[in-house]
Amino acid sequence: MVDSTRETDVVVIGGGPAGLAAATAAANEGADVLLVDRNVQLGGILNQCIHDGFGLHAFGKILTGPEFADRYVREALEAGVTACTDTLVSNLSRNREIICTTSGKRSRIRAKSIVLAMGCRERTRGMIQIPGTRPAGVYTAGMAQWLTNMANIRIGQRVVILGSGDIGLIMARRLTWEGAEVSAVIEKLPYPSGLARNITQCLEDYDIPLYLSHSVSYIHGRDRVEAVTVAKVDEVGEFIRRSEFRIPCDTLLLSVGLIPENELSRQAGIQIDPATSGASVDERYMTNVEGIFSCGNVLHIHDLADWAAEEGDRAGRSAAAFALGGYRSSNAAARVPISAGDGVRYVVPQSADRSTQELLLSFRVTAPRDEATICVNAGDSSLATKKLRRAHPASMVQMSVATDHPFDESGLEVRST
Amino acid sequence: MTTRIVTCILCPNGCELEVGYQGEPSEETLHVDGNRCPKGKHYALDELLDPKRTLTTSVLVLGGEQPLISVKTATPISRALVSKARSEIQGAVARAPVAIGDVILANVAGTGVDVVVTRGTHLRHEHGK
Amino acid sequence: MKPTFDVVIIGAGVVGSALARHLTRFACSVAVVEKESDVGMAASARNSGVIHAGINYKPGTLRARFCMEGRRLLTQLCEELNVPYSICGKLVVAMCEEEVSELERLKAQGEANGVPDLRIISGVEAAKLQPGIEAIAALHVPTSGIVSPYALTLAMAEDSAVNGANFYLATEAVGIEHQHNCYAIHTKSDTVRGRWIINCAGIHSGRLAQSIDSEAPDLYPCVGEYLLLDKQVGEKLSMSIYPAPQADGAGLGVHITPTMDGNVLLGPSNEYVSDPETRCCTGSTANRLLEEAKTLWSDLPPQVVIGAYAGVRSKQTSPEVGGFGDFLFRRTPNHPQLIHLIGIESPGLTAAPAIARHIVDEIIRNEEPFKPKTAEEISLRRWPLRFDELPEKEKERLVREIPDHGDIVCRCEGVTKHEILQALNNPLGVRTLAGIKYRSRAMMGRCNGGYCLPRIVDILQQEYGWEPTAFQLRGPTSPMFVGRLLEEDHG
Repeated sequence: MVDSTRETDVVVIGGGPAGLAAATAAANEGADVLLVDRNVQLGGILNQCIHDGFGLHAFGKILTGPEFADRYVREALEAGVTACTDTLVSNLSRNREIICTTSGKRSRIRAKSIVLAMGCRERTRGMIQIPGTRPAGVYTAGMAQWLTNMANIRIGQRVVILGSGDIGLIMARRLTWEGAEVSAVIEKLPYPSGLARNITQCLEDYDIPLYLSHSVSYIHGRDRVEAVTVAKVDEVGEFIRRSEFRIPCDTLLLSVGLIPENELSRQAGIQIDPATSGASVDERYMTNVEGIFSCGNVLHIHDLADWAAEEGDRAGRSAAAFALGGYRSSNAAARVPISAGDGVRYVVPQSADRSTQELLLSFRVTAPRDEATICVNAGDSSLATKKLRRAHPASMVQMSVATDHPFDESGLEVRST
Repeated sequence: MTTRIVTCILCPNGCELEVGYQGEPSEETLHVDGNRCPKGKHYALDELLDPKRTLTTSVLVLGGEQPLISVKTATPISRALVSKARSEIQGAVARAPVAIGDVILANVAGTGVDVVVTRGTHLRHEHGK
Repeated sequence: MKPTFDVVIIGAGVVGSALARHLTRFACSVAVVEKESDVGMAASARNSGVIHAGINYKPGTLRARFCMEGRRLLTQLCEELNVPYSICGKLVVAMCEEEVSELERLKAQGEANGVPDLRIISGVEAAKLQPGIEAIAALHVPTSGIVSPYALTLAMAEDSAVNGANFYLATEAVGIEHQHNCYAIHTKSDTVRGRWIINCAGIHSGRLAQSIDSEAPDLYPCVGEYLLLDKQVGEKLSMSIYPAPQADGAGLGVHITPTMDGNVLLGPSNEYVSDPETRCCTGSTANRLLEEAKTLWSDLPPQVVIGAYAGVRSKQTSPEVGGFGDFLFRRTPNHPQLIHLIGIESPGLTAAPAIARHIVDEIIRNEEPFKPKTAEEISLRRWPLRFDELPEKEKERLVREIPDHGDIVCRCEGVTKHEILQALNNPLGVRTLAGIKYRSRAMMGRCNGGYCLPRIVDILQQEYGWEPTAFQLRGPTSPMFVGRLLEEDHG
C-alpha cells in the first residue's frame, strides 16, 4: 500500500479562526495535532476579510482579517501543529477515521479525537427562491468579496445588495471605494442583520440607502442582470402589492445568511440541531459521536471571529483531553438538556453534565429589544441573570453559569424578557 | 444643549452613544452616555469635529503568488481624506515578496499616516507549487 | 461560404442531438444550427428527466408509438454512451375512489400500448415500496425510469461532433428559404445550406416552419417550473410519485422524481405564457409546488430547496382546449426534403431516439443512399464516469495516476479538477461556465457554486490565462465580470 493509514492524537478539520485556535490549544495541551485545510493558505475566510474589526477580544487590538489570521497561524505553528493545507477531507466516519485528498494523493488518517471546524457557507438564491430570470451577475456577498479582494476581479458597476448581513455591508463600502455605484441595500426584516457599526461606516458614510422591510420581488435580465424590482413586505414576509419600484443594476449581491457546513458531520452520524443547523454538543463541545467535537461557525453562526476562535480554544482543549486520556466521560443519564425559552432562538451547548460547575452559554435572541433581561433557569430556580442594554439577533450573547450544585434533572432553560 | 446619537464604530460592540454639548463641542463641553469604554468619548468628539476612518483596501502586486495584497492606513485618517487616500493607494504597485507590516506608502494624502500591508504574498515560482 | 450540407438540423435539443448522433453513423455531411451557446439549453434540460413507460398516451398515436420504441432505444443508447439511467419505476397514486378508476383507465391504456407488469396496488403496499405515500391505491409502473436529460443530450451531441457533425452554436435560425437545389437557413449572422432540413427547433419550430409553409401550426408556450431539492431528500426517494391524471391537464400534474444525480425534482407547474423565451421562476408557484408535493409524499422535509428552473413546453393545444396534441412530423408535397418536427412535448425525451431513427431510416435514407459507416470509421465518445461515484480503492488508484483527481474543486458534487478540465475541453468548443456546469456538475450542488466558482475562476485564470472578461455564464451576452479591479498601467 502506498497510502497506509496514519494515526495521530487530534485531527482538526478546517483552518479558520476556530480550527486554528482549536489546533493550537490541543497542541499546547501536549497532543499531536494535524490541522487539515482545503485552502492553500491557512486562515479560512479571514484572508478575504481585509476590513478591520477583528481581534479586540482575542488580542486587545483592532486588526484586519488577514492580520488576525496571521497571529493565529503563527501561534499554531509555534505550538507544534502540523498543518496539511490544500487538502480536503472527503470522508468522516464514526470511528474517527478521515479520508483526505489532495493533488496526487488520497490518504486515510485515524485520530483519537477530531475537532470539526469547517465553518459555514452562504445562503443562495436557490434557497431563498427569488423570482425572475437566471442571469449572470447574481453573487453571494462572500463570493463577491473573494472575487474582489483575492482575485482582482471587478464584478459589476451598479450593484444592489439583498440582505443586510455584515459581509453585504462590508461589500457595499468596498465596492463603493472601488468605483462601483451601490444603489441600495434591501433587508426583508424590519431591522438590519448586520452590526450597528457597519451600518454607520459602510452605508451611512456613503449615503447608501437601506430599505428595511423590503425584498427583491423580481430579477430582470435574460443574460446579465438588468434591474431588480423591490417591494415592501408585511410582517409575515409577503410582498405588499403596488409597493414595487425598479432599480436598474448589473449586479445583485446576496447577503442573506450563513449555514453551518455539516455535510461531513452527517456522514459520521452526528446529530444536527435544527435551530442552529450545527451539531448538538455538550458542555465540552463534544457531539453525540464519542471523540468528535465541534466549534466555530460549523457549530453555530458567530457574529465575530474572536468568539469563534475562543470557542475553538475550548473545543481544542477538550479534544486533547479526550485523546490523551484525561477526559472524564459522562453517561447519558447524567446529562441534562439546555433549551431556548421565550425570546431565545437557540442555545449552545444543547446539553450538559449535571455536575458541571462552570458553563458558558452562547445564544441569540429572537427579536431586537432595549433593556432585555436574560435568565438561566434550572427547574424553579434561577442560576444566573444578566441585563442587556440592547439585545439584537445580530449579536451573539454569551453568559457564564457557575454553580456548586448539580443541575436540576429537568435541565436548563435560557429566556430573554 | 445640542444632542445627537452616534454609533461608535471602534469595535464590534457598536455602542450607541448619546452625545450632548453646549455651544461648540469640545473635551470640556461634551457629555457622552452609553459608551462601554473610555474610547467612546474620544470617538464621539472626533465624530462631531472630524470623523476618522481606517481605510482598508488592496494593492496590485507583481510577481506574487497572489495578484493582490491587502493594506490599511496604520491609524484612522480623516474621513474627508479617505477618497484622496484611496486614489493614491490605487496608483501604487508592489513587487513580491511583500510581508505583513511592510510600509507600502508613507504619509498618505498628507495625513502623516503610513499605509501598511495586512496580507502579503510570496514570490511566485513559475514551476510547481 | 459554407458548403451545402446533406442534412441540416435546426435546434440542438434532445431531438436534434439524437438526429445528429444517428446521422453521423452514415457517410453524409451534417450541420446543426443552434440558437443558444450550448446544446440542450431549453426544454431538453428543463424537464422531469423521466423515461416514460407508455401509460399516458392513447393507443395508435405517435406519442404512444415513439414512446414505446424510444424507451428501448434510449436505454441502449445510454449503455453505449455511458449515460447513467435507472429503471426505478414509478407510482401513480390515487387519493380518492374516482382517482382509482383513473388508475384503472391508465392501466388499460398502458396495456394496450404494450407496457408490461402494470399493477394496481393498495395504499399500504405503495407505502412499502415508497415510504411516505399516503394514498388509497396506486398504479405501480415498474418499467418507468429516469435519465439525466442534459447528460443525454450533451453525450449525443458530443459524440456526433466527434463523428463529423458541424455544430453552429449561438446561431439563431430566423427563416427557411427554398433555393435552386437546396434550402437556405438564414440565421442572424449567416446562412447555412442543406439539401435536407429537419426543423426541430422546439417551441420555435412552428414559427420557423411558417417562414416557408404558411399553413404550419402555431405553438403555445406553456411554462413548467421545477424545484430542485437537496440530495438529503434524494436518499429517501426510490421512485417517482405521480398524481392521478386530471382531465384536460396540460401536463401530467406535479410529480416528485428522483434524479440521476441523487437530487429530487418537484414539478412542473403548468402555465401558458406569451413569451416562448421565458425562463422565469415565480415565488408563488414555488410555494404551490411544495404544497402539492407534500400531499403526494408526506415525508417531504422542509427547507430543502436548492434551486429552481423553468422549462417551456411546445403545446399545439391552446389554453382554451388544454390537454395534449400528438407529435406532428410535417412534410409537404412542395417541400419533400423539409421535415418539421412540431409539438414534441412529453414524452419527447423518451421518444427522441425513436423519432431520429424514423426520420433518418424511414424517410431520408429511403431517398438517399447514405452508406453506413464501418465500425472503424466511428469513434465512440463515451460520457465520462463520475469520479465521485467510484469505489474508494479505485479513487485512490486514479488519484495516483491522474493527480488532478485528488484536487476536489466542487465539494457538494465531488467534482475533481480533472473533471473540470475535461468538461472545458469538450468537442463542441463550449467555454462557458454553464457548459462546465452541465458537463461536470460543478456549481450544481447545494451551495450553488459558492465553494467551487472561486476555485474554477482560479484554475482558469492561473492555468489558462483567462482574463476576467473571458468568463461567461451562458455565452457572449452573459458576461460574469466587468474586468480587473486593479491594473498595472493604472494611473
